[in-house]
Amino acid sequence: MASAAPSVPPSLTLPPSQFARLQPHAYLLAHLSPPASSNQPSIRANGRATSQFRVTSANTGSLTHTNGSAVVRVGDTTAVCGVRAEILPTDDIASWSVSHSSSSMNKRRKLTNPAQKPTQEEEDPEDETHIQQLNLLVPNLSLSTGCAPGFIPGAPPSALAQSLSHQILNLLHSTRLVRAEDLRIWYQPPSLGQEDLERHNESEQMDVDAERGEEVGKDKEIKAFWVLYIDIMIISLAGNPFDAAWAAVLAALRDTKLPRAWWDVDNEMVVCSDAVSESRKLSLRGLPVASSFCVFEADAAAGWRAVIIPDAEEEREIEESARKGIQRRWILADPDGYEEGLTQERVCIVVDKEEGTGKTVIVKMEKNGGWAVDGKELKALVDISAQRWGEVKHILEQC
Amino acid sequence: MVGPAATLTPLARADGSASYQCPSTGSNILGSVNAPVELPGRRDALKPEEATVEVFVKPGTAPAGVGERYVEGIIKGVLGRLILGRERGYPRRGVVVTLATVGGDSVGRGDSYLTLLPALLHTALLALLSASVPLSMTFSATVLAVSDSGEIIREPSTEQAAAAKSLHVLAFSSKGHLLLNESQGAFDFETWEKVHQRALAICHGTSAIGSDGDVAMVEDVDGQPLEGTIRETIEDQVHRDYAWKIDAV
Amino acid sequence: MNKEAPLSITERDFILNALREDVRLDGREADQLRPLKVSFGEEYGHVKVQLGRTSLIVRISAEVTKPHDDRPFDGLFTIAMELTAMGSPAWDNGRQGDLETYVTNVLDRVVRHSNALDTESLCILKGVSCWSIRADVHVTDYDGNLIDAACIGIMAGLQHFRRQDAVVKDGQVIVYGLDERVPVALNITHKPLSVTFHTFDEGKRVIIDATRKEEQASEADVVIGINNAGDVCFVSKFSGSPVDAMVFVDKTSVALEKVKEINAIIDKALQADLSKRAKNGMAEQSRAENDR
Repeated sequence: MASAAPSVPPSLTLPPSQFARLQPHAYLLAHLSPPASSNQPSIRANGRATSQFRVTSANTGSLTHTNGSAVVRVGDTTAVCGVRAEILPTDDIASWSVSHSSSSMNKRRKLTNPAQKPTQEEEDPEDETHIQQLNLLVPNLSLSTGCAPGFIPGAPPSALAQSLSHQILNLLHSTRLVRAEDLRIWYQPPSLGQEDLERHNESEQMDVDAERGEEVGKDKEIKAFWVLYIDIMIISLAGNPFDAAWAAVLAALRDTKLPRAWWDVDNEMVVCSDAVSESRKLSLRGLPVASSFCVFEADAAAGWRAVIIPDAEEEREIEESARKGIQRRWILADPDGYEEGLTQERVCIVVDKEEGTGKTVIVKMEKNGGWAVDGKELKALVDISAQRWGEVKHILEQC
Repeated sequence: MVGPAATLTPLARADGSASYQCPSTGSNILGSVNAPVELPGRRDALKPEEATVEVFVKPGTAPAGVGERYVEGIIKGVLGRLILGRERGYPRRGVVVTLATVGGDSVGRGDSYLTLLPALLHTALLALLSASVPLSMTFSATVLAVSDSGEIIREPSTEQAAAAKSLHVLAFSSKGHLLLNESQGAFDFETWEKVHQRALAICHGTSAIGSDGDVAMVEDVDGQPLEGTIRETIEDQVHRDYAWKIDAV
Repeated sequence: MNKEAPLSITERDFILNALREDVRLDGREADQLRPLKVSFGEEYGHVKVQLGRTSLIVRISAEVTKPHDDRPFDGLFTIAMELTAMGSPAWDNGRQGDLETYVTNVLDRVVRHSNALDTESLCILKGVSCWSIRADVHVTDYDGNLIDAACIGIMAGLQHFRRQDAVVKDGQVIVYGLDERVPVALNITHKPLSVTFHTFDEGKRVIIDATRKEEQASEADVVIGINNAGDVCFVSKFSGSPVDAMVFVDKTSVALEKVKEINAIIDKALQADLSKRAKNGMAEQSRAENDR
């Protein structure tokens, strides 16, 4: 393949690996558009087809000191995620005893209101406001030393790590993946006179599902919250960190078990049970899966040459005519580090499927850094992402 | 709908600056551009063949956090494709864009920056123009929210955005390409296509999407396309700058 | 680039020689301020200060937090000033320079440590909740005398700011929205301001409110923080060549005069803004009053 490129003098032959370093753009281009005479199919330099993802594997529960953990490998990109749950007593929350008399914040007060009892399946409006306002989910992503060349020890978190952390936090909030109900620790004061009965009940009513009758919901009070510290370490970075990190978060949260916790009146503190049998898993909402793409342009100078850029309409015509002849750009799924270095335009789509109907729901769609991807291309990418959803679901269910 | 209000070059020290007031969110963004400048502290990060674009977003009443780093990344992605960083004098130099929220609400930790994003993008663009940085094209951006009932709200307020089912920011180049799309919240592709069409109408007016019956109505709702507003701001500035020449003629 | 472009030798000599003849580049007297303009934005605590060609924006904000464990009766007050490339191309984004550290330190001492804002009045519920007041200084144009300009902005902002009303009801703190109850002004104990002097010519010439070029040409600077009553709350001679002790004595009276002058300008701007607001918000305010 290397000898097919024009930039190499005929007398000198180079092994492909060196050619890849010297002329990365030409190297990838030569793979994607092989000369017609060679009869070779268009393929990426890493041997994948354009819409093919790397081999993905997941493993959960490997870290013993966390409440849930997962290792996800997407090709050579490896993300480790550990979820650690800490108790946050409501006394320590400055804004807890504060209510705003105006409309929006009133809900918090209603909690102590007898009429309000948390229901599980109904969409509780304050459900995620608790998670968001009190910061109950704290993801932090670090690109560890040596995960890729250029990551030196002792450096502050890079802009990439910070923005990935934010993306994960934002996605956790917007997908409402974790239910706030799972993170609440309740207290039910015993009613006088029925001491024994209530003692017995006390163990049950901590079952936060609140399946019990109305009179129990009466003075139920939130005494503390679980805060989930979600730490993600990218131990090897070979492109596309977001997909791997998000899959690791998802797998770790699916693996997370919280011990049974209740408020001990005598000691005025939250006490946890150490019986494994009493701990319970988080019940997550859906299974959003992220797929990233990048756009490779045949013209290496497309990004910077001061030329008159054709109108979108004209561009579409050019695109049509190009279909017969030479292709000018390729959308590559799950780019590796080599490909990321050669491309500017990025697309990231997170999809989920409704349970039952199987309808594809997009929960996040981002594209930036270019103008090759428009409505039509995005539609095709959503379909590819929906396919990928099936694969990842299968992988996560296996582990 | 009241259009945004923008002023070019309100600052004296920066090479270029712009102030941008968004009527719906009430946010006021001040942006400055210094270009081309030396960035000695980051010699390792400088690119030998083109300019390094740096974006800094400063929230109004809070310390900067991960959310700012993220939105900086988005803005950098758009501007990186816009700025002709290989023109004379730009390679190995920096283009430093600083954006500060000097009025209106700030964005809390973990909250979405999307409602502010179009204002930030427009400010950055106008500041770049004010600093005479060579650009390949201009753009216009808008944010749309889809409410629970499926209604599309243009430039939602903070409360509307919080209650919305999905939130979309779209930016179109002056030539009509989709430059940027940031969508979050549950939606399906048909909804997005409607959002896309509406956004295109807001940014470019209705001529761009053909002429069937519905379109005329849309134009009334959205008033002057944003692309026109941006263009006028710049034309006014050019007029003022070349007043001496025009008068002479 | 952490340094401003240095002055050329001729420029420096020119400034110095002119000062020896009691002339400043912009024609001011030695103890004359540049034109000062203080204006307020729509929100409470939003101040724009224009001092000659130095301009900055101060925003005051408040939120309810938990007080420090060792001071359960005190609220919190922070001054945040981050110099960005907006104010001057010489400043790096996201990196703290010497100037930033120095100015923040002086502001802290003049405004915060002199207890200009009564932090005890910010306590809502002992040990549980209090107000945290934050002053953000955005420097938009830098042409010398950052300290005084920022000080004016912060003090004007604190006087202009109104926080939401908060009431304690059975252990629950209720915060009323700005449109529900008349918001509360902060408790300002006194109005200290700083006046920065720069010395030239072995301490023989002393000027106030130096421009950037004058600052660069100067030998040393002296900052005096003083309030309207003439109580000195801060004196500093941070760096540069030695200054005669009498300068401090002499210039304190100049500083007092200037602080009175500046405070009068702030008061005038505040009054104008208040009456403007009263006109606009008469109906709403009276409604809130009735609700009470």
